[in-house]
Amino acid sequence: MTQPASSGTAEALPLAPGIEGVVADWSSDQRAFKKVPWGKAMMWIFLLSDTFIFSSFLISYMTVRISTTVPWPNPSEVFGLNVGGVEVPLLLIAIMTFVLISSSGTMVLAVNYGYRKDKVKTFIYLLLTAALGATFVGMQAFEWSKLIFHEGIRPWGNPMGAAQFGASFFMITGFHGTHVSIGVIFLIIVAIKVLRGDLDTMKPGFMTGRKGTYEIVETMGLYWHFVDLVWVFIFAFFYLW
Amino acid sequence: MAMAVVLVVLVVGSLLFHYLSPWYFLPIASNWGSIDDTVSITFWVTGFVFVVVNLFMAWCVLRYRTGKTKAAHYEPENKKLEGWLVLLTSVGVAAMLTPGLFAWAKFIDVPKDAAVLEVIGRQWNFNYRFPGEDGVLGTVDARFITEKNPFGINPDDPHGKDDILIATQELHIPVGKPVKMELRSIDVLHDFTVPQMRAKMNMAPGLVTYLWYTPMRTGKFDAFCEQLCGIAHYAMRGTVVVEDEASFQKWKAGFPTFAQMQAEPPGDATAGAASYAVCAACHGAQGEGNPALNAPKLAGQQDWYLKRQLNNFKAGSRGANDKDTYGKTMAPMAQTLPDETAINNVIAYIKTLPDTPAVQTVKGNAKDGHGAYENCAACHGANGQGLWATNAPRLKGMSDWYMVTQLKNFKHGIRGGDRRDSYGPQMANIALMLDNDRITADVIAYINSLK
Amino acid sequence: MTYVTHDETEFVPPMEVDEPELYHPKTWIGKYVWSQDAKVIAVQYALTAMFVGLVALVLSGIMRLQLGWPHTFSFITPSTYLQYVTMHGMIMVIYLLTALFLGGFGNYLIPLMVGARDMVFPYVNMISYWVYLFAVLLLLASFFVPGGATGSGWTLYPPQAILDGTPGASWGIILMLVSLAFFIIGFTMGGLNYVVTVLQARTRGMTLMRLPLTVWGIFMATILALLAFPALFVSCIMMILDHTLGTSFFMPALVDKGQQLGYNGGSPILFQHLFWFFGHPEVYIVALPAFGIVSDLISINARKNIFGYRMMVWAILAIGGLSFIVWAHHMYVSGMNPYFGFFFATTTLIIAVPTALKVYNWVLTLWRGKIHFTVPMLFAIGFVFTFINGGLTGLFLGNVPVDIPLSGTMFVVAHFHMVMAVSPILVVFGAIYHWYPKITGRMLNDRMGKLHFWITFIGTYAIYYPMHYLGFMGVPRRYYALGDTLIIPQSAHALNEAITIAALVVAAVQIVFLYNLVWSYFNGEPSGPNPWRATTLEWQTPDTPPKHGNFGPTLPIVYRWAYDYSVPGAPDDFIPQNQPPGKKAGPGVSAAGLRPA
Ligand code: HEA
Ligand code: HEA
Ligand code: CUA
Ligand SMILES: [Cu+2]
Repeated sequence: MTQPASSGTAEALPLAPGIEGVVADWSSDQRAFKKVPWGKAMMWIFLLSDTFIFSSFLISYMTVRISTTVPWPNPSEVFGLNVGGVEVPLLLIAIMTFVLISSSGTMVLAVNYGYRKDKVKTFIYLLLTAALGATFVGMQAFEWSKLIFHEGIRPWGNPMGAAQFGASFFMITGFHGTHVSIGVIFLIIVAIKVLRGDLDTMKPGFMTGRKGTYEIVETMGLYWHFVDLVWVFIFAFFYLW
Repeated sequence: MAMAVVLVVLVVGSLLFHYLSPWYFLPIASNWGSIDDTVSITFWVTGFVFVVVNLFMAWCVLRYRTGKTKAAHYEPENKKLEGWLVLLTSVGVAAMLTPGLFAWAKFIDVPKDAAVLEVIGRQWNFNYRFPGEDGVLGTVDARFITEKNPFGINPDDPHGKDDILIATQELHIPVGKPVKMELRSIDVLHDFTVPQMRAKMNMAPGLVTYLWYTPMRTGKFDAFCEQLCGIAHYAMRGTVVVEDEASFQKWKAGFPTFAQMQAEPPGDATAGAASYAVCAACHGAQGEGNPALNAPKLAGQQDWYLKRQLNNFKAGSRGANDKDTYGKTMAPMAQTLPDETAINNVIAYIKTLPDTPAVQTVKGNAKDGHGAYENCAACHGANGQGLWATNAPRLKGMSDWYMVTQLKNFKHGIRGGDRRDSYGPQMANIALMLDNDRITADVIAYINSLK
Repeated sequence: MTYVTHDETEFVPPMEVDEPELYHPKTWIGKYVWSQDAKVIAVQYALTAMFVGLVALVLSGIMRLQLGWPHTFSFITPSTYLQYVTMHGMIMVIYLLTALFLGGFGNYLIPLMVGARDMVFPYVNMISYWVYLFAVLLLLASFFVPGGATGSGWTLYPPQAILDGTPGASWGIILMLVSLAFFIIGFTMGGLNYVVTVLQARTRGMTLMRLPLTVWGIFMATILALLAFPALFVSCIMMILDHTLGTSFFMPALVDKGQQLGYNGGSPILFQHLFWFFGHPEVYIVALPAFGIVSDLISINARKNIFGYRMMVWAILAIGGLSFIVWAHHMYVSGMNPYFGFFFATTTLIIAVPTALKVYNWVLTLWRGKIHFTVPMLFAIGFVFTFINGGLTGLFLGNVPVDIPLSGTMFVVAHFHMVMAVSPILVVFGAIYHWYPKITGRMLNDRMGKLHFWITFIGTYAIYYPMHYLGFMGVPRRYYALGDTLIIPQSAHALNEAITIAALVVAAVQIVFLYNLVWSYFNGEPSGPNPWRATTLEWQTPDTPPKHGNFGPTLPIVYRWAYDYSVPGAPDDFIPQNQPPGKKAGPGVSAAGLRPA
C-alpha cells in the first residue's frame, strides 16, 4: 500500500474527450480513484456511511421536534452562560465551536508536514489537534453537567418543555462526542508512531502487521475534518434553530 | 428435458389453480369496484408476462439443451432487442399504474356528505363512537382515559357530551351511505379491516387516520386487526353489520351518550341486599360460591365484569346454549333484576361481601402452567388480578373448578359463541390455545399458586 | 461508452500498486481460527450463517405445524408463536442471507475474481467475522432470558415492541436491538473491505466493465448495505433509549393496560420510515448478489456469454439507486400522509423495468445456448422461474390501491417468500454446488444434488403459490390461529395443512444437502482446477483449493471480459480471462485497446 509506481492506464493511453473519457478512466483497471491509497479510499467510504448515520439522527431529531405536542425550550436561554452576572447566550458553544474549527486548522498543518515527512512538526501539530479535541470534549462534559445538574434536563424530560429536547441533545452530542474522543485517541497513537519514526522505517503495525506510512496522517485528517463538519450541522440545528 | 416439462407443468398448474381453486377475493360489498378493477388489470398484465416469459424459457431449455445443439451462438448483446423489451415492459407498467393512481386519488378524498364515525383500537378490541346531535365528535386525549372515561373524551368539550359511545365489538352502519371512519388507537399500532370492503388502514397512537367507503349490500362481516399488536393480535376481532337506515338508527339509540355514562348513579348496596337474597341461595350468603350447586364465587370479582355478565344473561347472549347447563339455570335468575339500577344495586352489595380466597379443588402442575399463563397475563394481569382496560375479570382466588368448566365452554363455543357477548368471542379464541385438559389444569394450578 | 467490453486487448498497463505484504500465520490457530485469509473468513461466515439458518428453518417448521394443525401442540402458545415468527424472519433475512451472500460469498469470491491477493485490510476483515459471531450469540441468547425472545415481528414496530403486551418486551427486545447494532458494526468493517477491494485492488487489465456480474452484484449490495444499515442502527439506538431511559422518540402519549405511561409526543411513524429506509434496500441486498451469481451460473452452463452484459451492469446500478426511493411502499396503510402513495407507487413500479431487463437477459442467455443441466444450472433456472413469479406479485403490492386489500395478509408473506425465501435461497444452493469444488477440491455428489433440487424447487413453489390465495381471501399474517370467522371457508384449513406438509418435506430434504456437504468433503470425486470450464479468474488459480495469496508468485493479467464462451474460431469453447490474445481471431473481436477506438 505505497504510492503508485505510475498512475497506469490513465496516462498510458490518450483519453477520449469529455464524459466518455472520464467514465473510461474511472472504470479502467486496478484503481477507480487513481493515486488514491487504500486506506484513504476506505476512510472516504466509511465517512459516507457515517454521514448517513448522522443524517438519520438529525432527521429524527427534526421529526420529533415537529411531532411533539409540548413547546420546545428556547436554546439561547438553555445554553446561556452566566458570566459575572450577565447571561450571555450561546457563549460556551461559540467557544467550543471555535476550538474545534481551529483544531481542523492544526490538522491541516499536521497533514502538510506529514507529506514532507517532517517528523517533529507533524508530531507537534498532531498533538496540538488532539489537545484541542480533548478541550472540546471537556467543555462538552462541562455543558452536560450544567444542563443536568443546574437546569435539571434529563433524557426523559426537563422543566422547560418538550422531553425530546434532552433526549435528542444528549443522544446526538453524545454520539458526536464519542467520535471526537475516538479521534483524539487515534491522533495520539499516530502522533507517537510519527515521533518514533515508525512511518519512516515502515515498521509493521502492532496488530494489523501493515507497513506504516505517512498516509495514515492524511487518513486521520479526513476523519477529523469530517467530525468538525458534522459539528457545524449539529450546532446549526440545535443552537440556532 | 425434465426441466422444460416441469416448467410448463408449473405454468399450466398455476393457471388452473387460479381459475379452479375456490379461494379468491370475497365478493365485494363496498363501492371500491375500482380497486377490484385495478387488481384484474394487474392480473392480466402480470399473468401475460408470467406465461410468455416462462414458456419461452421452457422452450429454450428444451430446444438448446446439449446434444440438440452443436455450439452456442456468440452474440454479446443486441441493443435493439433490449430496447424493445424495455419499452414493452414500460408500457405494461404504465397500464397497471395509471388506473391504480386514479383509484388511489378517489380512495384518499372523502366525499363531503360522508357520515363520520370513530373506530378506536385498543389492546385487544375495537370500540366505536358516533357524534351526537351536534354532528361533531368531541376532542379526546390519552390523558383523560380512566376506568370511568375509557374513550378518553375531553370532559370540558361540549361537543363530546352527546357523543354516543359503543363499547362492544359490533358496529352497525347504514347501507348505501358513504361513511368516513376516523381511526384512533390508545396504545399500540392496530388496524381496521373488513375484507369485503377492500378498504383498510392502520391506527397509530397520537394520530388520527381515516378511511371511507359506501357499503353496497347488507350483511354481517368480520373486522380484523391486520397490524401486529401483541399477544392477542389474532383475537382482536370486530363485527360490522350493514343494515337499512331504520334498524341502524334503532340500534344506535340503544347506546348511552358520554354525558349519560358519566351521570350514571352509583349502586345502592342496601337496596341490593334485598335482591341478593335470590342469588344467595346458590352463590352463598357471603358470595363465597358453592361447588355443589355449580355457583361460582362472586365476592371480590370486578363489578364491571359482574355487570356485563348479568346483562349477557339477560340478553341471552350467555346461558342460551343448550350445552351450557348451569348457564341456563342462571339466565332466568338474571331476569329477576328488572333494570340497570337493580343490577348496579346488587353489584354494589356484592362489593361489600368479604373476599376470602375460594377453596382450591383443581390439581395440576403449576410450573408447566406458568408458560401458558404468560398469555393469559396479557389481559388478566401478571397475578390474575383482572384489568378493566382489557375487560378481563379477576382469576386469582376465585373458584377454580368454575374456571375449568368455563374454559371448556369457551373452547367448544358453548360460551362466547354469541357475538352479542362483546368480549366472550375473544376469550373463546384464546381458550383454543389450551390444547388438552392437562394443560388447562396446569394453568389453573398456576393461577391458584398466585399470591 | 463506445468501447465494447467483450473486446480482448493486447495492451497491458503497468503495475499501479505494489502487492500488499500478507500476514502469514505460523500456527494452526492463526491459519484457521484467527485467520486473516479472506477465504477462511468466508468459510467461517458461511458455516455460522448456515447454522443460524437451520435454527430459523426449524422455527419455520414449528410455525407451519401451528398453522397447519392449530391447537394440537400445546408448547406453541400465542406468545411463543410470535417469538418464532420474529426470530425466524430476522435470522433469515439478516443473519442468514445478508451474512452468507456478503460475508460468505463476498469474502471468498471478490479477491479471487478481481485478481487480488486478499482483501485490502485482512485484519479488519477478520474482526468483522468475530463481531458478527458475537451478534449471532447475543441473538440466540435472547431465547433464554426471562420473558424470552421478542415477539414484535421482524419489523420491531414500536410502541408495541417495547410494551409488555408483546412477548419478550423486557429483555428479548433489548438483546435483539443490541445484536443488530453489533451486526451492523461488524458488517461495516467487512463491507468497507469489499468495496475498496473492488474499487482499488483489481489486477492489471481488470477494468470495471470486465468484472464478472457476481462481483458487480455483491459490490452493489455492499454499497446499499453501507448506506442503508445506518438508518437501522440509529433506530435501534433510539428504541433502546425509549425502552431503558424512557425517552420519547417513537412513543406518543399512550395508555398501556389502563396505565398512563410517561411517554409523550414521539412518532411511531418515524420508526417505520427509518426501518423501511433500511428495510427496502435490505431486500435488494439479498437479491442483488443472487442476480449476479445467477448470471454467471447461467452463462457458464449455457456455454454462452451473458446476454447484454453492459445492460446487466446498468440494471444493477439502477436497481440499487431506485431502491432508496421506494421504501414507503411498505407503509401504504400505515397512516402516513396519503399523498406519498402517488410518488412511491410510481417509483416502486419503475423498479420493475430494470429488473425485467435482467430477467429477459437471463432467458436470452439460454436462448441459442448449449445448455448443460448441471445441478447449479438447475438451481439457476429454478431461480428465474420463482423470481419472475415473486417479482410479479410484488407489482400487485407496489400498485397502491391493490396493496390496500392485500397488505397485512398472507399474500405479502407469499410474495416475499417467493422472491426472497425461495429465489435467492435457490441461488445460494446453486452457488454452493458451483464453488464447492474450488473450496474443497471435490465435487458435490450429483444424484443427491438433483434430488435436493427437485424437491426444494417444486416443494417451495407448492408452499407459496397457494399461499397467495389465502391472502386474497383476507387471511391475516402473524395470526396464531384463525379461530372461527365468517370469511374463511373450511377448505382454507385444508389448504393450510397441504402447505404445511409441503414445507415439512422441503425442510426435511435439506438434510440430504447437509449430508452431501459432509460426505463429498471426504468422498467426492476430485474436481481438478476448473471443473465447469469457466473463464473467471478464481478457476485459473495455480492450486485448488487456492492457497493464501490466491495466485502463486505472480498475479494474473486480464486480457478480456469474463464471458468469452463459444467464441467463433476459438479452439476451445471458453477462453480464460487471463489468456493472452492472438491465439485466435474471429468476428466481433478487434484488437482495440481499453480506449474507444
Ligand atoms: C429479495 C427480496 C425482495 C425483492 C427482490 C422484492 C421485490 C419487490 N417487492 Fe417486495 N418485499 C420483500 C422482499 C422483496 N421484495 C419483503 C421481505 C417484504 C415484506 C416485509 C414485511 O412486511 O415483513 C416485501 C414487501 C413488499 C411490499 C409491501 C407489502 C405490504 O406490506 O403491504 C411491496 C409493496 O410495494 C413490495 C413490492 C415489491 C416490488 C414491486 C418488487 C420488485 O422489485 C419486483 C421486480 C420484479 C419483477 C417485476 C419480475 C420480473 C419482471 C418481468 C418478468 C418483466 C415483466 C414485468 C412487467 C411487464 C410489469 N414488496
Ligand atoms: C430469507 C428469508 C426467509 C426464508 C428462507 C424463509 C423460509 C421459510 N418461511 Fe419465512 N419468513 C421470513 C423470511 C424467510 N422465511 C420473514 C422475513 C417473515 C416475516 C416475519 C414477520 O412477520 O415478522 C417470515 C414469516 C413466515 C411465515 C408467516 C408467519 C405469520 O405471519 O404468521 C411463515 C408461515 O408459513 C413462514 C414460513 C416459512 C417456511 C415454511 C420457510 C422454508 O422452510 C421454506 C423452504 C425454504 C427452504 C427449505 C430453504 C431454507 C434453507 C435455508 C434457510 C438455508 C439454511 C442452511 C442450510 C439448509 C444448510 N415464514
Ligand atoms: Cu390490534 Cu393487531
Ligand atoms: Cu420493499
